[in-house]
Amino acid sequence: MISLRRKKSILAAVAVTSFALIASAVPANAEVGVSSTEIKLGTTVPMTGIAAPGYNKVAPAMKAYFDYINDNGGVYGRKINLIIKDDRYIPQEAINKTNELILKDKVFALVGQLGTANHLAVTSKVRIASRNIPSLFLNTGYSGFADVKKFKTSFMHFPTYVAEAKILSSYIKENFTGKKTCLLVQNDEFGADASKGFAAAGLTFDETVKYVSGTQSATTAQTWITRFAGAKCEVVVLFSVSSATAAALGVASAAGYKPQWILGSVGADSTTLRIALNNPQAQALLNGAIGVSFMPDALDTTDEYISLFREVNTKYSPGVAFDTNVLVGMNAAMLTVQALRAAGKNPTRRSLIAAMESKGSTFASAAYGNLAVSKTSRAGFTGYWFGKFNLAGALIPLDAGRTMYTTDSGTGPVTKASAKRAPLPAKGIPTNS
Amino acid sequence: MRNLMSLKKRAFAVASALAITTTALVAVPTTASANPVCTNKVIFTECVGATTDGAGYVIQVPARFSGTLFLFSHGYRYPINIPASIPVVGGYTVINTPQPAPGQNADQITEVATQMLTKGYGIAGSGFARQGWNADSGLKTNVELIGIIKKQFPDVKHVVAWGESLGAFITQALSENNSNLISAAGNLCPAAGSVEASLKMAGDALWGLKSFFDPTIQGGNYKSVLEVYTDIGRVLTVLGSLQAAFAANPITPAWPATSKAPAAIQAIPSRSALVLVAAMSGVPTQSASFDGATGPGAPGSQTAIQFAAAISPALGSLENIAGAAILAIMATYDIEQQVGGPVFDNTATNYATQLGDGLFEYSSALSGLDAAQGLLGFLAASPRAKADPAAVAKMRALVSHKGVFNVPTLTLAATADNVTPSGHAQWLAERAAQSYLASSRNKNSRLANSWRSNNVSLWQVTPDSYTKFSATGTPLTQRGVNGTGHCVTTTKQYLAIAEILAKAAVEGKIVPAGAFRSSIRKAGGLTYDRGFSVPLMKFYQN
Repeated sequence: MISLRRKKSILAAVAVTSFALIASAVPANAEVGVSSTEIKLGTTVPMTGIAAPGYNKVAPAMKAYFDYINDNGGVYGRKINLIIKDDRYIPQEAINKTNELILKDKVFALVGQLGTANHLAVTSKVRIASRNIPSLFLNTGYSGFADVKKFKTSFMHFPTYVAEAKILSSYIKENFTGKKTCLLVQNDEFGADASKGFAAAGLTFDETVKYVSGTQSATTAQTWITRFAGAKCEVVVLFSVSSATAAALGVASAAGYKPQWILGSVGADSTTLRIALNNPQAQALLNGAIGVSFMPDALDTTDEYISLFREVNTKYSPGVAFDTNVLVGMNAAMLTVQALRAAGKNPTRRSLIAAMESKGSTFASAAYGNLAVSKTSRAGFTGYWFGKFNLAGALIPLDAGRTMYTTDSGTGPVTKASAKRAPLPAKGIPTNS
Repeated sequence: MRNLMSLKKRAFAVASALAITTTALVAVPTTASANPVCTNKVIFTECVGATTDGAGYVIQVPARFSGTLFLFSHGYRYPINIPASIPVVGGYTVINTPQPAPGQNADQITEVATQMLTKGYGIAGSGFARQGWNADSGLKTNVELIGIIKKQFPDVKHVVAWGESLGAFITQALSENNSNLISAAGNLCPAAGSVEASLKMAGDALWGLKSFFDPTIQGGNYKSVLEVYTDIGRVLTVLGSLQAAFAANPITPAWPATSKAPAAIQAIPSRSALVLVAAMSGVPTQSASFDGATGPGAPGSQTAIQFAAAISPALGSLENIAGAAILAIMATYDIEQQVGGPVFDNTATNYATQLGDGLFEYSSALSGLDAAQGLLGFLAASPRAKADPAAVAKMRALVSHKGVFNVPTLTLAATADNVTPSGHAQWLAERAAQSYLASSRNKNSRLANSWRSNNVSLWQVTPDSYTKFSATGTPLTQRGVNGTGHCVTTTKQYLAIAEILAKAAVEGKIVPAGAFRSSIRKAGGLTYDRGFSVPLMKFYQN
């Protein structure tokens, strides 16, 4: 029988040992969502609902890349645990799910949030900036997110829609002067940004059709195409989401209407088009359309980043077709790993934000150019190259040098230069610090 | 779609929450008395009386008394009788009955009071000498009442002040000005800051309804109660018309016949104008029945998504805005009577700024950017309300808060409260953090949002999704959904808060760990996270 005194000393020893174990396991500056073995990240994306086709591949692609990194040692020994929540592309649901991620799941940071309205709802209602919660690599091009004063903890991934519209304008002026040029645009901040860019570049349209988000369908597309055809538009810019682009192309094809299509980056993904039109051959509708991208085309297997990401996708997301959405997800994930590494061996939210500001512009990724992030800006990439879609739905560069058109979201000029980017880290595993 | 009767029930519920009567129906002396009349009720002693201002009070102390007594301050009660002929809220008579415990109705007040006594807590409450906005007189009444309590029951070791809505405003004022009298404070569904901050949301909402839907709504500068009754009638007529229009065509509901908006504006669905009014004012678009996230039909279908994003916020706004608008009319009249002139002034208000990112967040509900900007343009050109500077000066001289926390304080707010929005609690939380950081010792501390600032915020957060539909896709009316409505608190939640406050009173601090977390977990529906945050009221955003 153990005496009471001995019992006490055993208990004390157990307590001390337990405390020591706990103390050694948790860094002195332990941060929410960071343990000795794990970094917990979260994202809300439309996994179901009308916006899900295509977009529902972005977050799983991020997870696949993180799994690849985890199998190769993680980030300074910590595995990345990405928690994915379905927001169905509804702002209120994004608020609800983000609150869950922060309050219940206790994530360290948000990554790859998708959709302007959703992220605006999150920033205003969940108030992640005042709570110092980082939101890395937003998958939206709304120019407002570059404002460091308002969105101090949010960081963009995509070039802004303003910049994209300025770049499209530059190309149209160079190549289609004198042609009747028309525009399909969403009647919200997405479209407002585009209109701002077209106006800044001095491009006017002979016919502009606006649609309210959520109303796009084959029926509404009939009215758009009727208006474009009636106005005898020779060049039509579809600055629209995938479902609207698909509806427009589908209806136009059926009607035999064949202008020169110029597609904004958001709505031009061949696999999404096939799903949206429920037609396995629908990518052919893209044939001949001009498009832009800030990364290589997802079907370009000669590209070292694409090749690596495809391998990761095959191993960690078996059965998932590699496309632009997967590419976007993996690129954001690769950038995230570099941000986490740059934040130090015991990352905090503050050190992560500081790392983004000081080192974000040096991160390697599949995108051409560098992130424009700094202490004074939250902007993402800034340039696009032009290509033409082929029958397989691949975007083929218009010139061998893959000329990059680069600009800002203000009144700066559009400049041209050959595409450049950092080489792929060995085995696609960042080693920066 | 719900019918007018259900709207009436809901609006009445709001009115009831604001103008609650106490259970006890305690007979109190009608004139002030130095000594209360006490009766031994076997398991507790009850004393009734009136303070020198004539406010009736009741004190109940159990036989097995813990030494801690809770002084409750009730919320806003209408200051005027409302004839039965007035729809929805008619038949109300001014009530000065003391209320010793919180609750949404007589049954719940009784239940909470009984449980409090059973747990060994004393309870007390005044009916206050006047109804309406009575923070100044209510504060004095409570100070005097605490003196009476301590004299009558010398074994009271700790007084915990707590209150709901306007009662929380009085409680915070008591804490700031007379902290030596109390040991802890509970601000439940609080109004906070100032009367001006408290009235702005309702004033903006009422002005928006007037501008879009019926310019004959007076909205202020009331010369008689008749004008008040008329305004209530006009607002309810507008809301009834909108409800009927929603029922007939939820996608493109017609505008009320009373609207004088031009055809170009009326070409935009009226639901979008309603959402704009709510969003720019700060009235939640989530309500007890509408979560803004769910729609009929298959989950994820276009029908479900469109309803959730475009229709649900409008129906939620409609369900919420009756309470805000009626409060605006009654409280505006009340304050105007107290300070001698109109006090609501929006001549300098930029509603586009106030809407902020709501312009994009509610893009679908607002029918797109062009429609939203058209509606904002119409509002920008609409006649504004101008206040009397002398009256405003008097209003600003009424008791207000500094946002300091002299005793351990617990604040409870619902994220979709339609009468005192959760931004009030957020203001208190931010003031607490600022005060904490103001000390040179704490200026670099990351603990400003913790209990060290002497204010702990609890939140009732709406569930992920909760709108329910009939088999034919009709949304069903609900009540009591956590995080929605005004001062919708369960008995378990009240009692958990009481336990936390009693412990805080004894220990001199609220530490949100251990027993605290156990209490809120058992109560259910309460969220504590020191980083949780909601938008401030629009009053502070423009």
